[in-house]
Parts: sequence; structure tokens; C-alpha cells
Amino acid sequence: MNRRDFLTTLAAAGTASAAPEKIEPRADTLILLWMAGGMAQTETFDPKRYTAFEPGMDPNRVLSTFPAIDTVVDNIKISQGLEKIARVMDRGTLIRTYQAGDLGHILHARHQYHWHTGYAPPQSVASPHLGAWISKALGPRHPDVPAFIDVGQGLEIGAESDSLKAFHTAGCLGSEYGPFFVTNPMDAAAAVRPPAHIRHERFEKRYERYKRLIEASPELRERTSAEQESLKKSVDNAHRLLNSPAAKAFDLTLEPGASAARYGSSRFGQGCLLARRLAEAGARFIEVTTEYIPFRYWDTHENGHTRALDNKRLIDGPVSQLVLDLEERGLLNRTLIVIASEFGRDMMQEGKPDRPVKDQVTIPDRISEMKHYGMHRHFTEAGSVLLFGGGVKRGFLYGATADERPCKVVDKPVKIEDLHATLYHAMGIAPDYGVEVEKRPFYVTRDGKGRAIREIFS
Amino acid sequence: MRRLLFAAAALSLPAADFGAQVHPILNTRCGSCHGSAAPQGGLDLQTYAGVRRVVTPGNPDGSLLIQRVAGIKPPRMPLGGAPLPDSEIAVLREWIRDGAPAPSGGSVSKWQPSLNLAAPALPESSEPHPIDKFAFAYFRERKQPTPPEVSAAAFVRRAYFDLWGLPPSPADVRAFKDKGNDELVARLLGDNARYAAHWITFWNDLLRNDEGVVYHGDRKSITPWLKKALEDNLPYDQFVRALLNPEPKTGPEGFLTGVNWRGDVSASQIPVMQAAQNSAQVFLGVNLKCNSCHDSFISRWKLKDAYGLAAFFSDQPLKIHRCDIPTGEIAQAKFPYPELGGVDPQSPLAVRRAAAAKLFTQPENGRTRRTVVNRIWKQLMGRGLVDPPDDMDAEPWSPALLDWLASDFAAHGHDLKHLIRTIMTSRTYRLATDREPPAVPYVFRGPAPRRLSAEQFNDAISAITGEWRMLVPRTAGPAQYARDWQIKSSPLGRALGRPIRDQVVTTRLTAPTTLSSLELVNGSTLASLLRRGAQRLAGELPAAPPGLFDSGTMGNQKIAVDVDVAGVKKLWLVLEDVDSYDAARVQAGWAAAKFTGPKGEVALADLLKQRPVQWQFRGDKEPLPFVAVKTPTTLSVNISGKGFTRFQGFVGVNQACLASDINPRLRFFVFPDEPDFARLYAAGSDPPVPVPQPVKNRKALVRRLFEESFGRQASAEELRVAFEIARSTAGLEDLLWSLFLSPEFQYLP
Repeated sequence: MNRRDFLTTLAAAGTASAAPEKIEPRADTLILLWMAGGMAQTETFDPKRYTAFEPGMDPNRVLSTFPAIDTVVDNIKISQGLEKIARVMDRGTLIRTYQAGDLGHILHARHQYHWHTGYAPPQSVASPHLGAWISKALGPRHPDVPAFIDVGQGLEIGAESDSLKAFHTAGCLGSEYGPFFVTNPMDAAAAVRPPAHIRHERFEKRYERYKRLIEASPELRERTSAEQESLKKSVDNAHRLLNSPAAKAFDLTLEPGASAARYGSSRFGQGCLLARRLAEAGARFIEVTTEYIPFRYWDTHENGHTRALDNKRLIDGPVSQLVLDLEERGLLNRTLIVIASEFGRDMMQEGKPDRPVKDQVTIPDRISEMKHYGMHRHFTEAGSVLLFGGGVKRGFLYGATADERPCKVVDKPVKIEDLHATLYHAMGIAPDYGVEVEKRPFYVTRDGKGRAIREIFS
Repeated sequence: MRRLLFAAAALSLPAADFGAQVHPILNTRCGSCHGSAAPQGGLDLQTYAGVRRVVTPGNPDGSLLIQRVAGIKPPRMPLGGAPLPDSEIAVLREWIRDGAPAPSGGSVSKWQPSLNLAAPALPESSEPHPIDKFAFAYFRERKQPTPPEVSAAAFVRRAYFDLWGLPPSPADVRAFKDKGNDELVARLLGDNARYAAHWITFWNDLLRNDEGVVYHGDRKSITPWLKKALEDNLPYDQFVRALLNPEPKTGPEGFLTGVNWRGDVSASQIPVMQAAQNSAQVFLGVNLKCNSCHDSFISRWKLKDAYGLAAFFSDQPLKIHRCDIPTGEIAQAKFPYPELGGVDPQSPLAVRRAAAAKLFTQPENGRTRRTVVNRIWKQLMGRGLVDPPDDMDAEPWSPALLDWLASDFAAHGHDLKHLIRTIMTSRTYRLATDREPPAVPYVFRGPAPRRLSAEQFNDAISAITGEWRMLVPRTAGPAQYARDWQIKSSPLGRALGRPIRDQVVTTRLTAPTTLSSLELVNGSTLASLLRRGAQRLAGELPAAPPGLFDSGTMGNQKIAVDVDVAGVKKLWLVLEDVDSYDAARVQAGWAAAKFTGPKGEVALADLLKQRPVQWQFRGDKEPLPFVAVKTPTTLSVNISGKGFTRFQGFVGVNQACLASDINPRLRFFVFPDEPDFARLYAAGSDPPVPVPQPVKNRKALVRRLFEESFGRQASAEELRVAFEIARSTAGLEDLLWSLFLSPEFQYLP
């Protein structure tokens, strides 16, 4: 290395300890579709024997409350109610053996923290969200589109609010790496519009005059610190972002009616539409959630059957449409779509079969009412993760679970560090990529030891 | 051609210096094993001679040092630790390529702080203040120019923000007499309540205490204790002892409890291990985080050291775990600095905790004093004498000054206000901010740039606009004006660096970023605050009517409403959500509600032409007709000319929605006129500073806003622009925004 190269290296080197291995990225964008609240795998992507409702039935007999349906892939069957996803299964890989952390008495927000950061709280270092790591490692794809955009999750949801805030953050990486919040996808444009009561013209004028005022300041004219310059620059960047043509991606009213309608009118559906627009515009990492609110959406503590049906109606159209739209635009190959949840569910088992934890729902000996018919307990032994695009195999099934309760993983278990390593691998990030915090290394996967599942890549 | 130019420029650089560049890398990365004290394999990488044994001058690739740190020849070093960043390996290569030259004259620093405080003599100096004697001797020795002092107005601004977290009013600035520095500092320190309201944020960051947070798991607020300790200026040794050995119930038990989540927890994060890590970090500037799991790769601390400290706080035998696997050993209470003493490991918890409290604070323990003195210095000067402030084994830029300050602090009864006063009355505190990029290694050239904290920023805006937020009581009763620290964190606060206090935070991340500035540019919190602020200053904020009825926060109760509505034209019925789990599924409303008057009575439902629903209060035997409303909803009912004198009925929810997954938490109000929705609750306290009166003369108002925002008068040119902006009330709002987003406002002078 000559001196010139040496200087260049120094200039380029951040605090990140450089990964020795160079991984060729397969995807430029990652879209995480989050099934918040614990998606019952046996009612969605890992159907088991169907037992129809009859009053007085033995709950132990019930594995799935819906029949399985065929998909366009011969060896993959999924649950009734997901017919549209069934038709695009040939574009993706289905992992049936995600094993959630063994964290004791179950708390959704804690498992969500674990899934999103790879670390279980409490932690002595503020753990960054997956999106923040990707944002740190790869930077924005487009200078005017925030690298990490979080869609649909309100942070004031009652008693678990603070637990949610704890991982919806870039943590020790610093706020530069996101997230940029779009709490309500139905009104995403508000995130990139002037405050509601300020018209665009006034907003523009306000900034022009602000700059004139700063130029007129005898103090700032005299001397400014690098920090003050960086404030000016960041305010300028904010305005540039808001005025950028790329910001139009946030405005769902610009989407032609017919193609918007295909995503349906739900928050989640519109969130998926927003994700597509943002992926096109150049976002790096987008998470769209069905939203975690205790006891809602996938957090089915009762009426599991009817609510699973509602939830499937919520996701079936938007998820499949997102896959088709990205494919049509030629973006699916370079966009990894991930559908995941903090854990699975079961009628009987709370936690893991080998290590049950404190029950949170009472299951009657005999089911007489519909409200008891469904997957109401939190099952951390197995859950499904669905991947589309981004270089994963098409129409591929990975891992297997037993067909009889307790429906354990029988082949190819996947832990969070390996799942993360797989997602990072697709993005070209090594599992031991990391930063130094308080002089010690902090990695994207625990101890840098996650192993990507190479088998699922084509 | 360009190539040549670059090469020529590069060639003029001096060779990588062993002392300044190479040694710090080897010391940090390799020193814990290959240090002079007990070098592994006999290889001491803290000395030039030792390093020369593993390098071949001129041949980086042929040098064992490079082969090992670059992983060319296994095992890669540091063994088990993080690989060296490429940038550091590049420095080592460069130095070897240049022939691995010996240290250039200057001695290689091998700083090792002693446990005791030195008693440094004051340097000879004409400066009267002890701090200045050290600082100015430092400038003299290094042949550095003495930085200029800031103006009196800038000093006043610093002092107000540093002691009260609020800006001085223009009158405060004018009243300040030059040379009256000591009096000003004394006066500001003398206001115990405002002093505490500012400094509590600093301690909350350190002690992981926060407002409005809820966890499923143990976490306990220490706010009442902490606020009182600051108001009373509790001596720091007692302060630390109370945190480490809290009185049951009345003491700050939350510090030792830590932040815990429901479920099973890694062995390194159980409450007593958190207590060990936090107390070592906060009070001793020692990092025991790595070695709470395994022996540290980066410091001399071992697994047993973390467990030894944790055992002081454990109410049961503490099993040592290495990376979550039990080693079969039971931890024995042992202080990280055993030379200070210890405790019988078999003694009861009360004795061990009392011993910890003593060991942390006994006179021979200089680290505790140095650590806090350094933290306060950093808070006031922007950078610690040692920085980062959690690494108190690192070398201060003036070891003598640090030890003098720490000794003086101890000699004055560990009086935090004395320490603050000592720093703030020095000339050194008044030096102009060093706006140049910091030198490497660090050189003191004056205070480092300091951005207003989220709390200072929000409180300053409230003080200038009169727009304070309110703390709403959980039950009926008036709301209280609040300083920003009392409000649970908002997106605005987080954007400006208010941390999530799950971990100890000793240095906030406050660098401006695009995302944080977006919050300032189009975030709703600041926008609505400034809108109201402008209306208030312009005298256009509508007078809010006092409420006729306030249910207080309620869940399953049935509360009667009976209010006088004589003369009311439009009655406003407000339902607010406080924090229901699922507001969308709450079934709430106005039950059996009717207006009465001389002409008889009319049901609310009839007046609204609504069909009531039959819902039942919990505990009632019969259902009642409800005017059902969504949560939240405001109804305005026109009763003009109907001669009604009373509005009567009940408020509450249908018992069917009292499930835990809905959990209604609501509040009902009745107003005789359109309410101010930002002020539904009557105020029961005075604002932190008097609310400014509206000013009709717009030019006078603009001049005043400049003085309040910047602590100086506006220039003619600024006024010209500002008058143009602030013609209308909306323009006034835009001017406020422009002032508060100015780098001059957001950074201390």
C-alpha cells in the first residue's frame, strides 16, 4: 500500500471493524412484513390435520382449524384463506422451522426485540434494530430516501409502549441510521409534508428566510463550529428530502386507482403499497407491520379461528400483490421480502415442548364455544418465515415440523442468529460485521457467529 | 499530473510516530495481555523494544505483528477479541514500512492512575483561581495562545442554561454587572428547585431513571428521592451510599433493581450483575460489562471481578456463570480494588451492602471523586478532563487539575454545588468555545461545542413562548405545569438526544442528523407548540372557558353529571382517551343524559336526533339509554334559546367492554363554550417561569425575541429580515421557528 492508498483507507474507515469476507449482495432492498403478535403457523404456512369445530370437542385433537390448500408448488401446502399467496409460492422460499428464543415467561415485546435485534433484553448496550444495522452497513440507496423506514407501528400502545420503543431505534449506532417512522401508512405523505397547518408555499418561504436570517447573523458570520455547520447541513438535507421527487413515493394518492385498489383499503395493505413505492424510490430497508397492539391482530388469545381468518384476509392480497408488482417492475430479483413473526402459536403448548413456561390462556377440557376454537397459546418451538425474491430459491421448502402435537422441528432448525445471518448475507453483509462500542466489539449476529443458510439461495 | 501532486503532498507528511500513533493502538488492543505488568509469552507490546521483537523494519508483510493482527498467520490476534480495524492495521504497516522508527523524543505515555488522589501543588501563576492556575500553566508550557473570553452576555447565557436549564431573560442579561460572575453563579445555585429541575436530567441519564415508563418486570422510579437529594444538595458521598445501600421504601431502591424484563434473563444481566456493572461504570469509571460474561479481552478485569462486586448486592448465593454456563463456583464478595478493603463474604446482605457503600466512598478511594468531578467537568465544559468519561484509566489532559479538583471536592464535604461553583467561577469556564476540530491526541483549547439538550431546548422554547406542557393527574383535579424532564419522552425529545434509559448513558448522542432535523422541520410536536406560542405572543390565543365538569381519569365507574347550563348557547361534551388498551373497542357515552328547564326536560339523544343504545354500567341491575360515542369524541350541542338550566346524567362505559384487552381509561368533560383542547385541564400550579405577556407592537416583540433567543440584540440586517417575516401571526410563528433552529440558539455561546 502506498501513502495515497493509505490516506484513502483512513478516510473511508469508520469505526466498523471491516469484515474480512466480501459477500456479493443478492438484494439491494429488504422489505420486512411483520406479522405482529405471534402468527399461528398451523393456521397459515405450516398446516396440520384439520379438525372442524364441533361443540364438546377435545382441544388436544385440534392442530389446524382450517383445511390445507394446494399451492402452485407441488410439495408445499398452506392454509385455506391464503389462496393468493398460494399462487405466488413459486417465487419464494418457505422456512417452517424458525425457533424463537427461549426467554421464559412470554412477553411479546421482548420476543419482538429479540427478533429485531438478535439480542434479548435487558442488554448492557442499546441494541440496534436490523434496519439500522443495514442502514449503517450499506447506507441509503438514494440520497433523498431514508435508508430505514418503519411503517405502521404506533409507539404509544399502552403498557408495552416502552418495550417497543426500546428496539425501534438504532441504539448505539446513533439516530443517523433510523428509523424514519411512518406511523399511519394511510397518511404516509404527512411524513414528508410540511406540518398540517403550513401550506407548501409558506413552508418554502420559511426556509428561504431562515437562511437569510442566518446569513445576517453577526455571530454565525464570524465563526461557527463543525457542529453548527452540521446542524445547518442537516436542516438543509431535511428540506431537500421533503422537496425531492423521491418524496412523492410517500404520497399514496399518486398511485393509479386500479393498482392501489389491488392492495385493499386496510392499513397493512396500504403499507405494502407504500413499501413497493419506497422500494422503487430507493429505500434500503422497509418494515411494514400489521401493528402490534396487545390482544389484537395476530395476538389471538381467544376467537383464534375467526381472527386467523380475518388476519389472513388482511395479508393474503397485499403480500401476493407486492410480490407480483415487484416482479412486474423487474425489482423482485434485487428485493428480498421477508414475512415473519416473533413466534408461532398452538392450542395447547405455551413455550417449547421441552421447556414449557407459564400459561397465559386457560384452555377448557372440552370446547363448547367458538371463542375457544383456535391457537391461543404462544408457541416458541416452531414458526414460519416466508421469503420472496432477493436471490432466494423459487418454490423451495426448507425445514420440517412433526405432524402430530407437539409439532416439534424435526429437520433443520433455524435460530435467530442464523436467520439474521441469512438476511444479512442476501444484503452482502457478513455475520461478523460490527462496530466497537465502549472498546468492545458488537456484531450484527450474536458474537458474530450467525451462519447464513446457503441452501436457500439459488 | 494530479497523481504527482497527491504524491508530493503525501510525502510531506511525517512518518507514523510510535508514541503518538502506534503505541496507542498496541496499548488498547494488545495491552491487556501483552502489557508490561505480566506479558503473555514474554512479549511486552507496551515498550518499543518489545514491539521491535515482532517487526521486520521495512517489511510489513514479513512482520509477525502484521501477520498476526491481519490474520495472515493464525492465530489471529487479539486472541478472542475483535480484529483490528483496517485503518489501525494500516497505521502499523505504515510505521513498519518506514523502518519502524523509534519514539521521536517524546516519552511514551504509560498512564496508570493511582487509587489515591495526589495532592498537586498549585502552579505558579498570576491567575487567582486555582483552575486557571492549572489551565494557564498548561497553555504556557505548550506555548499555546490563551483563548479569548466570551462576552458578559454569553457568560450569563451559559450560566443560566448550566444551572437552571433555562435561558436568561433580557432583563437578567441587562442586570448582570461585569465582574459579578461569582454573585450570579451563587444566586442561580441558590434556587434549589430550579437547580434540581435542570440537573436531574444529568442524573437520570446516569442512574437510568425515567418518567412515564412502564416495563413488564422490575423497575422502580427513584424520582422523589433524587429530586429531593438535588434540592437538598445531598453530599455526594452520602448520595452514593444511599444508592448502594438504600433505606427500604424511602430510599432509591430503583438503582440497584435496574431495568428488568419479564422472563428468563441472561446470567450477566440479572439485577445484581446490572448493579455491579452500573455502580462500577457510574461511580468508578470502570467498565465491567465484558467481564460479566467472561474474562475481558480488552481490559484487566476478569469474570470474578464482576461477580465479586455483584456479590455485595446479592441476597442469595450467587452462582458464577461463564457465557451463561455455570462454572460451579459461588461468587465471593470482593471489591474491584481489594487494597481498599473488603467484607466477610459470609456476612448478611445488609452488612455487605453497607460495606459496598463504604468502599465506594471511603477517603482512600480517589476514583469515585475523580470520576464524578470529571463527569461534572464534561457537563460544563463539553468534554471531560478524561474522555470518554467512563474510562477513568485513561490519561487526563491535566492529571494535576483533575486530582486537585477531586481533592478540593472531597475537602469541601463532597458538595456538588461547591464543585460546580468552583468550575463556573473560573476564567477557564468563560473561555470561548473551541470551534476547531479536536486535535489528536487531544489538546485543551477551551470548552468544546455544546448543543442544548432536548430538555434545555424544549424548556427554553416554553419559557420564551409561554407554552408549557401539563402533567395530567391520574384522578380528578388540576393539572400541573411541567418541565420537559417530567414529561415522558416524545419523538422530538428523542430526536434531540433524550435517550431511552435502558442503559446507563454518560454521553448523549446529539449530533444533528437528517432524521433528527426532519423532526424539527416538519414534526408535529414542535409545529403545534410554535403555532400556539405565536398566537399567545400576538395576543390571539382564545380565552379558554373553565370547565363545568371533569370526570377525572376513569375506567369502570359510573359518574354522575349535574351542571348548571343557564345562559349557555352551545354545550361542549368531550370524551378524551387517557390510555385505554384498545380505544377503538371502548363502548362509552353519556347515559340517561337530559336537559331540564322551566319548559320541562329533553333527552340529549332526542336533541341530537340519535337513537340511544341500551348499555349497562357495571354494578347496575338495569341497562340505561346511552348516547354512544367513539373514543375520543367531542359533541357540541346547540341549546341556544331553549331555556335549559341543568344538564344531568351519567358518564362511563358499557360493562361489556371491561375486558383486559380493551381496558378503558377515559376522561369526560363538559364546557360552556368551545374548549382549548391543549388546555382541557385547569392548571393548579404556576408555570416554571412567568408566562410572557402578549406584545401588540410587533417590532418590539421581534426585538425581544432576539434577545431571549440569542442573549443579544438583533443587528439591523437581522431586524430587516425578521420584520419582513413576522408581519402576520403565521409569520411570527415562522420567525420563532427560524430563531429556534438557528445554530446560534441550539449551541451554547
